[in-house]
Amino acid sequence: MAKARQLTVYLAPAVVLVLAFFVFPLVFIAVMGFTRWSGLGAADFIGIQNYQYLYHDPAFITAVENTVIWALVGIFIHTPLCLLVALVLARRPYMWKLMRTLLFLPSVISTTILALLWYFMLDVNVGLINGVLAKIGLKSLTHAWLLDPSTALPSILVPFVVYIGFGMVLFLTQISTIPRELYEAAEIDGANVWQQDLRITIPAIRRAIALQALFVVGYVLKMFEYPFIMTDGGPVNKTMNLSLYIYNQMVTANAYGLAMAAGVVTVALGVVLMSLVLLVLRWLESL
Amino acid sequence: MTARTERTAAAARAARAARTARPPRPQPGVQAGRSAARVVKWLFLGALLVITIGPVLWLLLSSFKTEPELFGSPFGLPQKWSLQNFSGALDAQPLLDYFRNSVLVAVTSTAATIVVATMASYALLHKFRLNSTARLFLFFGLFVPVSAFITPIFYIVYHVGLYNTVWGIALVYSGITLPTAFLIIKTYMDTIPHEIIESAQIDGASFHGVFFRVVVPLTGPGLATAAIFLTIAAWNELLYANLLSENQSAQTLQVGIRNFLASYAANYPQAFAATVMAIAPTILAYAFLSNRVITGMTAGSLK
Repeated sequence: MAKARQLTVYLAPAVVLVLAFFVFPLVFIAVMGFTRWSGLGAADFIGIQNYQYLYHDPAFITAVENTVIWALVGIFIHTPLCLLVALVLARRPYMWKLMRTLLFLPSVISTTILALLWYFMLDVNVGLINGVLAKIGLKSLTHAWLLDPSTALPSILVPFVVYIGFGMVLFLTQISTIPRELYEAAEIDGANVWQQDLRITIPAIRRAIALQALFVVGYVLKMFEYPFIMTDGGPVNKTMNLSLYIYNQMVTANAYGLAMAAGVVTVALGVVLMSLVLLVLRWLESL
Repeated sequence: MTARTERTAAAARAARAARTARPPRPQPGVQAGRSAARVVKWLFLGALLVITIGPVLWLLLSSFKTEPELFGSPFGLPQKWSLQNFSGALDAQPLLDYFRNSVLVAVTSTAATIVVATMASYALLHKFRLNSTARLFLFFGLFVPVSAFITPIFYIVYHVGLYNTVWGIALVYSGITLPTAFLIIKTYMDTIPHEIIESAQIDGASFHGVFFRVVVPLTGPGLATAAIFLTIAAWNELLYANLLSENQSAQTLQVGIRNFLASYAANYPQAFAATVMAIAPTILAYAFLSNRVITGMTAGSLK
């Protein structure tokens, strides 16, 4: 019938794009993850050898661990920071709109440039961080932040943690939908600001908090710029993560099959982490 | 004032309060004796602002300094405000090429994604058997980490002959941002009252007529929101732009700036000037349209 044809015409371009950029890649990496392939010529089927290699590659294990660390830092440090700022700004203190605008501003700057900026901030010689430390008499604390294996990972996590714009706005938008009467009633009952936030605001926006946790998981699985630019995964793979590992295997080592096996693990890890977030949300809803 | 108008006024006030619902400002009485909490609050916000905006200001100041000034007085103002670093950066690097490539990629991919996502959203306004399946199919990519797909996507772009072209990069952006664009546009389109569409159909408008004359105009604000999101995302992307380009005929600003700064021969103040030029368009757009941009970039998450 005519309507079916029209619907097909309107849906076709979107379906083709999703097939090409999501379905095909998913199938492709699932199949080709079992091969040895340099991108040229034929691929050799080698069974689970790529996965065995990954399992025994310390760089890959570190990459998985670090990706999980990023997710945990995102959920338990970055998200509470977003929430705290949103709770403060939701009470509309003096100049709250300006604060919101300024705190969101880094979100329109590319992660590439933020990463470069922090790379220079943490630089041993030009860096502002060491400059400030030297100036306030803490010269003993100056440090090659990105080169020391014990400080490299925390250093590249700093910009991720402090750029709270997105989560802050997400929470502010949700808070603005809470009926005001709830707060007035709580005030009459003598609840102070913190008690109101804890008993009214946070429970009311719990779904937004879970949503933010999902975004964080998606974001850290895709995270490429901070390790790529600030440390290139080093020192000795201490800051390696999954996206960078995949990129290095493909672009630097030409190990396409291995890169795709690592991609399969990344997708699987994403499914596991997101399911965990959703399970926790369901458990919280049932309380 | 009669009791009746008073009641109406109270109801209006309540309705207004509900609309602009928010936690009330703490009453002065509640605040009394809490100045310590207040100090902590402002210190916290102040420190956060210093950490987040401070580096950006440092970059801006550094872009006007000479190299000795940058090392000698990292906090001071530049001795003279000259544009020398900026013109130097333009001479040393093909920044204008990068700029042109970024504009082409952002405009093409945004336009294509919006057209495709709007058409799909319109199709899903109609009832048909596979409607919810199609919706799920177009949404599932929202949660997929696309960095896992660099090999197959490289393979596709290479084999359709678009490697090292801006069109290849734009095509990939159209694909990987489609689920988000679809989410934003569909969410907005679903708020159009169905009666409007039905009455247009009763008036004899065709399938295409309803789309072009009724649905697209009414979805305008949703399209603007999506366009802001997509343009900023395309402007700022690095991984695929880097993977799919190899020289200045296709490299975008992000790729160019990274190469520029990563090469140790870089003249730092000049590199900073180039960086300032790269972020200027988004910052300027933000300065004029901050509310729109904030809603645009978070719109995908509201539903």
